[in-house]
Amino acid sequence: MHSAIATSELSKIYRLGRGGRKTAVDSLTLAVRVGEIFGFLGPNGAGKTTTIKMLLGLIRPTQGHAQILGLSVEHPEARVPVGYLPEQPYFHKFMTPAEIVSMHAALAGIPRRARRDRTAQVIETVGLQEQAHIPVSKLSKGQVQRVGIAQALVGDPQVLILDEPASGLDPLGRLQVRDLLIRERELGRTVFLSSHLLSEIETVCDRVAVLAGGRLAAIGTPEEIKQKEAETSVRTAGLTPETRTRISDIGGWMRDEESQTIITIESGRVYELIDLLREAGLPLISVAEERETLEEAFLRLAA
Amino acid sequence: MRRVLILAKMTMLENARKQVFHVVVLLTLSVVCASTLLSFFTLGVQVKILKDLCMTSILFCGGVLAVALGATAIPGEIESRTCHPILARPIKRAELVLGKYFGTLLTIYLGLALIAVAFAALLGARHALDVLLLLALGYALLEVAVVAAVATCLSTFTTPAVAAMLSFVVYVVGTIKIGYFKPLVDGVANPEARAVVRAVYHLLPNLESFNFKNALVHRLSVPEAYLAQVAVYGLCYAALALTVAAWGFARREL
Repeated sequence: MHSAIATSELSKIYRLGRGGRKTAVDSLTLAVRVGEIFGFLGPNGAGKTTTIKMLLGLIRPTQGHAQILGLSVEHPEARVPVGYLPEQPYFHKFMTPAEIVSMHAALAGIPRRARRDRTAQVIETVGLQEQAHIPVSKLSKGQVQRVGIAQALVGDPQVLILDEPASGLDPLGRLQVRDLLIRERELGRTVFLSSHLLSEIETVCDRVAVLAGGRLAAIGTPEEIKQKEAETSVRTAGLTPETRTRISDIGGWMRDEESQTIITIESGRVYELIDLLREAGLPLISVAEERETLEEAFLRLAA
Repeated sequence: MRRVLILAKMTMLENARKQVFHVVVLLTLSVVCASTLLSFFTLGVQVKILKDLCMTSILFCGGVLAVALGATAIPGEIESRTCHPILARPIKRAELVLGKYFGTLLTIYLGLALIAVAFAALLGARHALDVLLLLALGYALLEVAVVAAVATCLSTFTTPAVAAMLSFVVYVVGTIKIGYFKPLVDGVANPEARAVVRAVYHLLPNLESFNFKNALVHRLSVPEAYLAQVAVYGLCYAALALTVAAWGFARREL
């Protein structure tokens, strides 16, 4: 069975003036499974949009290959099952959402008879019924974003490639996008999602890839991406120098806060620490496990 | 072909809203209508001047619109990034080029049709209409097709401003090349330079050959073989320019 999206040593090198070169994407190899929501993360300039453009044939790879549902991206036919939302979508200002979505429905091959119903259905899905016949020039940024989502969905795509889908949307809009993505997955569609909203990625994505400096820094489930070792914070008071030494010996590090001390230690050794504190007759004010968030993992990997 | 037509329709709607289209068409229409003020000439002379003035206006209007709209159609899509969602569909780059070209052409033909109807009405009021009018107008449309193809081709390689400037130069040189430039070309002393200049001369379109204004004004007959030759030349030249445009755009990174 083909992966929904597969890249093999995909690279993009730009030639700069005076013989210089900039590697935007460096030997990227990954596979997105059919029916999963795949998050594509990275700091600004990491190569996310460049990768997406190579998948869509907007730019040519310098090296390597990419496929969508088994077809090489060099062929226009590879884009038949694709719905694409660019980052900050731009449309002809004089066109209305209904006209834009209808045009994309026609380009996606939807017959004339079905086109009107499909356009209306998708417009309703993104909540633009009232703005359907207003020129794009008069719409807000969030409304234009919804038009972008609508045109990506209209062809009933098997693979959705979304670059910052929640950009410009209010919290309700972001919730609607999240529900939409989950619904698409339930229908067996694949979603390739590039976003800076890490909380959203963590909530909806089955797997995540982190790109840094054009290279793949990590790939896996959000849990796998985060630091394997969870840490626990123990709050106590009245530490003596001798106790501090013993705590350091078992791998704990301390931070004093007014009259109390917060000790952070690997979760696996927390019972050792508790026994040590009890032995020393010190109070256990609080004990809390802290797991690395996806944002912290992202910052760690992107650095 | 279906996708080309969809893109052509979108381009036509886009171009019909552009200020340059409205201004040029209205100005030309004004010149054509103002030619009715030639009543101080005798009728025969009046008709000749009317035909000359109106045909010149139509040819110039077509040329200017072909340059202005043709040179900006594709760069406009690239700069505004409106082509990205379109090219993410299963569309070949050549289909976008053709769609933009035919859309531009249809817009210009629409404008010229309005002017031609006004011209025909004014001419019909003074003189019986004849087939030479259709001939002159038809080949004017072919000239527009050639100029628009050149402008489209240049626009895939350079910025809109440079493409428009070069297209205008090609339009002007192509219109006067036989009369003014042929003697200059033949007069180049250095053999290598003459060969290069001749190559450029022949590469430029011979737009004068599409101008049947004199035949219309002086009611001259034109051999059918010559008409066929000019038509084939125009279609082949436009096709070649569009082929180069499609090749150039296919290599462009977006």
